Amino acid sequence: MSVVNVTAADEYQKYINGEKTTVALFAAEWAEQCGQVKDALEELSKITGEKLQFISLNAEQFPEISMKHQIEAVPTVIFFAKGSAVDRVDGVDVAAISSKTKKLAESASSAAATGQTLEDRLKALINTAPLMIFMKGDRNGPRCGFSKQLIGIVNNTNLPYETFDILSDEEVRQGLKTFSDWPTYPQVYVKGELIGGLDIIKELLANNELEATLKG
Amino acid sequence: MSKYDSKYLEDKLKKELQTEYVSVTDESDGCGGKFSAIIVTPAFNGKTLLQKHRLVNSTLAEELKEIHAFSQKSYTPEEWEKVKAQ
Repeated sequence: MSVVNVTAADEYQKYINGEKTTVALFAAEWAEQCGQVKDALEELSKITGEKLQFISLNAEQFPEISMKHQIEAVPTVIFFAKGSAVDRVDGVDVAAISSKTKKLAESASSAAATGQTLEDRLKALINTAPLMIFMKGDRNGPRCGFSKQLIGIVNNTNLPYETFDILSDEEVRQGLKTFSDWPTYPQVYVKGELIGGLDIIKELLANNELEATLKG
Repeated sequence: MSKYDSKYLEDKLKKELQTEYVSVTDESDGCGGKFSAIIVTPAFNGKTLLQKHRLVNSTLAEELKEIHAFSQKSYTPEEWEKVKAQ
């Protein structure tokens, strides 16, 4: 396998929604560092063989996609499993890209045999973005007072984040409570680590520790 | 509706966590579905914010299944002195 240069949105969708986990490089021609990352991905694609697929796309040609995944700098590498972003590396961190790619290649071979477990799914979900919020509703329509207050506070930090609507998925809603040993929603995760619920976020805000904590 | 009231929750927290100060307020006009609590105990010493909240959550694990909304401010005695001073 080698890195495929994707030039059309439907082609991109086909890759990221495919059975195989996709490593997607968001690049720009003017950024030299993107070449480094692309070379690294070429090497990785040889090592991992058929387990993963690799694509590269010009971030500026796909503003909607780039916006959706909050691509703020190139190169950014995003890992997709069945259409959802499960991990990412911002910038030229070849070591991180390499270790994450290898880890996904390993789990790809085991998941193929066993099917993805709920635990795998939850781990992937809490790592969807560096700052991840599990809530009732979404940022534009929070469906509980606590979720609404939380979004208000986090919006004030201007940090990028992703949300997951637990009302849309009962398995995740119940599973994550047990997995993280935390009985209520909303829940805030930074780099896959539980920070806490609304009370903790308020407390961090009062102590002027919120922004630093959310940046991880 | 839940069968718990402020007094019950205060007593339980006091007993289980040896609180120096505990105050639970029913914010649901008496129906027992929404509470807020201030909890001060040396049991929180050396614990992170997350660990303090986990301790309270596990102490009230049974009750929280029925209480719809529970918010807590959990302090060590030292932190509580600072909060009171503000």
